[in-house]
Amino acid sequence: MTDANALAQERTQLFHDLIDGKIPKRVPIAMGFPIEFAIKYAGKDLTEAQWDTSHLEETFDKVCQDFYSDLLPVNAFRFPSFYKLLGARNFVMGSSGFLQHPEIEGMAREDYDDFIANPYDCIVEKILPRIYTELNTDANTRAMTMAKAFKAFFDEMGNAQATYGRLIEKYGYGRVNFFAGFTEAPLDFVADQLRGFKGISTDIRRMPDKVEAAAEAATPIMIKKGIPAIPPSKYNAVFIPLHMAPFMRTSDFERFYWPTFKRLVDALAEAGYPSNLFVEQDWMRYLDYLYELPENTIMRFEYGDPKLVKEKLGKKHIISGFYPLSLLKTGTKQQCIDKAKELIDILAPGGKYFFDFDKAPVTLDSINVENARAVLDYVANNANY
Amino acid sequence: MLDLQALTKAVGDLDEPKVLDMLKEFVATNPSSEETEAVVSACQKGMGIVGDLFDAKEYFVGDLIFAGELLNSALDILKPVMSVESNVKSGKIVLATVEGDLHDIGKNIFKSMSEAAGFEVHDLGIDVPASTFVEKVKEIKPEILGMSGVLTLALDSMKKTVDALKEAGLRDEVKVIIGGNPVTEEACRMIGADAFTTNAAEGVKMCQQWVS
Repeated sequence: MTDANALAQERTQLFHDLIDGKIPKRVPIAMGFPIEFAIKYAGKDLTEAQWDTSHLEETFDKVCQDFYSDLLPVNAFRFPSFYKLLGARNFVMGSSGFLQHPEIEGMAREDYDDFIANPYDCIVEKILPRIYTELNTDANTRAMTMAKAFKAFFDEMGNAQATYGRLIEKYGYGRVNFFAGFTEAPLDFVADQLRGFKGISTDIRRMPDKVEAAAEAATPIMIKKGIPAIPPSKYNAVFIPLHMAPFMRTSDFERFYWPTFKRLVDALAEAGYPSNLFVEQDWMRYLDYLYELPENTIMRFEYGDPKLVKEKLGKKHIISGFYPLSLLKTGTKQQCIDKAKELIDILAPGGKYFFDFDKAPVTLDSINVENARAVLDYVANNANY
Repeated sequence: MLDLQALTKAVGDLDEPKVLDMLKEFVATNPSSEETEAVVSACQKGMGIVGDLFDAKEYFVGDLIFAGELLNSALDILKPVMSVESNVKSGKIVLATVEGDLHDIGKNIFKSMSEAAGFEVHDLGIDVPASTFVEKVKEIKPEILGMSGVLTLALDSMKKTVDALKEAGLRDEVKVIIGGNPVTEEACRMIGADAFTTNAAEGVKMCQQWVS
């Protein structure tokens, strides 16, 4: 057996133990460096490099070489090519080269009834041409634009997938996948892509019944979108980043956010896929709700009280996060390592914990890379059970 | 004359139908400009309550956004009876999301709330380079310059803007406030801003202190 293969087996075992409710040999590490970070880290120009993905392997390889992780530490969700072909308003490149998500209104207030009655048709006929300006044209041109964009999408994503496969092979990363699928909580979908943050916050007050019905109508689509194109496995999770809940009053969360989100996670679990939640912002008000999700839901927390989370959720679910990325930027190496130790002491006992930062470093200058390396090496060498 | 305390309370409660009904009735009485000013000020007090409830964690960001919308619809109703004098603003703010960053939700909340507090806000939009800030400061001569950003790289752009103001000899003419996810006391010092905040309501209070 090659070294990489032996390493892969060992690392896969760490994650199988994590998910099977056994105490792994050591705290597993699952790091995620996004493509923007990787490009800058490789010393390339962000604006240009995102367009030419022939360098992708070399770019990602450098992150794999220099930062410890037990699972593949790189990912790319978006490339400018297909967004540009579509004339996207929802993902736009800023002057610094970052693809960002500006506030958009893909669905007008008057369209709620249409969306509720037939969400799929409403998305295709009304919403897509508003979000993607190049689709706002005659049927032939639209079909051609769609075909070109999908070709670009599959080329780029296919290339990325093949690259991931080679890097997993080369570095012996664990064979579990926490990003096997991707979907959104139904209200987040209605907010992010259809009404915008401002629109949804206003609609919740002005037309609550319709907001509730729209989240209901989006639910089957979000379930379908979330089910990955690979056979079910408890070791392959569906990624769901969570957005609106911390910005809502608890009573609004209970009515507009939670019921459809719970149904989504339940439906994915029933289909055999656990959910991997990025519990964005501060969810401490909602821990009792999170407890109700199916056993072994993966939850990476951004802010909050790790002790309380371990106590309330740590026996049922798999916890991660809490490590403040900002400390990697401002702290000394020793402070950074001490923080990792502190979190591990709280979160690791009893298992069901893997190490990750509170959020992904999107830009190279958001961390001091020496500190990041030191922390990851510390966990890899010292966080034994 | 309408019950000003009840109006303040209705704005604070974010009870939009009640606020709009009260204002429509008020406008129908063909009020004097003094009366209208008193009503605007009652609305602004209501926004103060919204800010306090946000600080107390009874309201959340979604409520702040709606408060801004509510105030806009209130002012639309009042506009026909507002005299030129009652439009006198408490100060001018030039505001934008800095170069390289396209996020504008935080900036927009701050804009709504500072307008509600009586500021005249010149919003330059998103991804705005230092040179545009400088030109606008020359043109508008605001008391306050507000910069917003979500990405870490926004901090560099904020510094560039402050440096460009210094170069143009304008830095001492304006107070600079920075806001958004990555701003900290350390960043504020490094950038050379006068104040920082991650809380729009608090930011508005700081601006009010500067112009009072």
